[in-house]
Amino acid sequence: MDILWYAVLALLLAGYFALEGFDIGAGMLLPVLGGGAGASGRPGRDRIVAAMAPFVLANEVWLIAAAGVLFGAFPALEGEVLSGLYWAVVALLVSWIVRDAGLWFRRRAGGAAWRAFWDGALCLGSWGLAVTWGFALAGIAGGLAGPPLGVLGGLLYAAAVAAVLAHHGRTFASWRGALPGRPPRTGRALAGSALLAALPALVPLLAAAPGVLGHAADPGTLGTLALTVGPFAPLVVAAQVWVWRTFGSTRATSSTSFF
Amino acid sequence: MDVLDLARSQFAVTGSLHFLFVVLTLGLAPLVAIMQTWHAVSGKPVWERMTRFWGQIYVINYALGVFTGLVMEFQFGLSWSGLSHYAGEVFGPPLATETLVAFFLESTFLGLWIFGWHRLPKWAHLACIWMVTLTAYASAYWIMVANAFLQNPAGAVARDGHLALTDVGALLTNPALVFALPHVAGAAMLTGGFVVVGASAYHLLRRHPEQGFFATSMRLGIVWAGIGVFVTSGFGFAQFAALSDYQPDKFDGGAPAVSLGFMILIGELFMLAMMFFLLPVVYWLPRWRWTHPILMLMTPLPFVASILGWLAREVGRQPWMINGKLTVADALTPGLTPAMITGSFAAFTLLLGALAIVDYALIVKTVRRGPAGAFLGARDDGAPDPSPAPALSH
Repeated sequence: MDILWYAVLALLLAGYFALEGFDIGAGMLLPVLGGGAGASGRPGRDRIVAAMAPFVLANEVWLIAAAGVLFGAFPALEGEVLSGLYWAVVALLVSWIVRDAGLWFRRRAGGAAWRAFWDGALCLGSWGLAVTWGFALAGIAGGLAGPPLGVLGGLLYAAAVAAVLAHHGRTFASWRGALPGRPPRTGRALAGSALLAALPALVPLLAAAPGVLGHAADPGTLGTLALTVGPFAPLVVAAQVWVWRTFGSTRATSSTSFF
Repeated sequence: MDVLDLARSQFAVTGSLHFLFVVLTLGLAPLVAIMQTWHAVSGKPVWERMTRFWGQIYVINYALGVFTGLVMEFQFGLSWSGLSHYAGEVFGPPLATETLVAFFLESTFLGLWIFGWHRLPKWAHLACIWMVTLTAYASAYWIMVANAFLQNPAGAVARDGHLALTDVGALLTNPALVFALPHVAGAAMLTGGFVVVGASAYHLLRRHPEQGFFATSMRLGIVWAGIGVFVTSGFGFAQFAALSDYQPDKFDGGAPAVSLGFMILIGELFMLAMMFFLLPVVYWLPRWRWTHPILMLMTPLPFVASILGWLAREVGRQPWMINGKLTVADALTPGLTPAMITGSFAAFTLLLGALAIVDYALIVKTVRRGPAGAFLGARDDGAPDPSPAPALSH
């Protein structure tokens, strides 16, 4: 049962990087792919945001669920991981909120300055997410007790995470047909960049597995959790599939662009 | 302030901010779902326009509920790792179920609802908002299961220095839960209903051309808030009997007693206003413009009462994190330094405080712009809007 819940945790975190990874990457490259951070780049930036918008709410929730599994199935570890990575987690939350605020608020008022400000928040928050994830994952790979990989190791890991997420975001934007004048990338290319984006999360998770499994909750608790979650798993999967069937089949913008 | 005070203040500030937005989310979601259902059944365009106008208040408010909720979820591990160490096996499963099932579905279906206008079939799109509503209340249930366990640790026994889950049934039907959940739901209906009433009063007072739109909204809001105030008062008072068993001294101190007193005062004010005035005259209320400034002034009060209620519930349990089992001091993360908690407290408070102000300003702006400027569900591909403004009739 503990192995099953660790697999769920790994799946959720890998899924987060594979899915939310392209939102983060597209946000990082927003001024580049959109054609500038100023007023002239506004239509281009709108196109990039419209490409990712219908997926964001369904993607970012994978991390919220992963944190929930950590709490429910590995309670002894939850406090250790989050408080051990204290500043990385605080920076991650701040970045996440800044990125989300950019998305939710950018179209809520008129004016070029308003849009440019929140697009800046969206871009900056996305970079913050990539970099803090780099440090957090380096910390997990190093075993939480201090940073054996050092600041340099953290920086290198952050650079790697930022690179794969940016690549994933660019591939996604191209696949959605949001980069005019260039032939769209194929679904196969997108799957490849998703796999690449999940890799920096999967490696530390596999490395940490032997230590984590000893910290699982007792079988009774894990069984209870399986009973409260299991019956709804098909519905959760179906809802995610429905998102992709609804918004994944057509290219570029949807017919209503809220973000 | 020492580390413990700062950690508690951080939780109080982020928790109060979270609930300010959550209470409106819970109150508005079913109301928006009812409006959209009415449109699907009757086919009348005014109900679609109401769905979109009030729906956008709902989604703008929802954003801050998520931002503050993120901090809430991770704060348990950041500041209170003693809680997961001691009681994670009991407190963790409800939180995990909330994130893994309820919120996961809520977020996914909300995305489908917001971006699915003009794309999903009518009934499928309607099903999305009902799923959002249902899962929002499922979230509330699981969070209240976790909170009720802190109030009254039912279903668990201490074993080898930590709590083990022994009776799932007792955890899920905790007396600290079964009355508190409807109490919260009723408060949410009152809050959401009155936001609709207050915003409608603003436009009716200013003689907005769409009198019919706002008159119907006001009546619906009054009825919704009226049901809410009866539910919240009834289940609120019903809690006292069970409370005398598990926390008999809860309201002996200053702050919990004062919070409780003012909350009850606000609740009874709304109860009396509903019973003897607002509900009996609901049909004529949209035309009585002299009442509208009063209705607008009443709109913030349910928010105040909601926060007071949480203060009473949480402060009245001190010094316990888990009543009678674990103190807040013992639940604090070992090694949490003043620099850490001060830094994160400042960062979260400044960021969330600023975003909350922006969010409320946007809600006010959206209300003032009126239904003609609705952006939720607006087509951006140049196709004509399916529901142009109706004739200016009452």
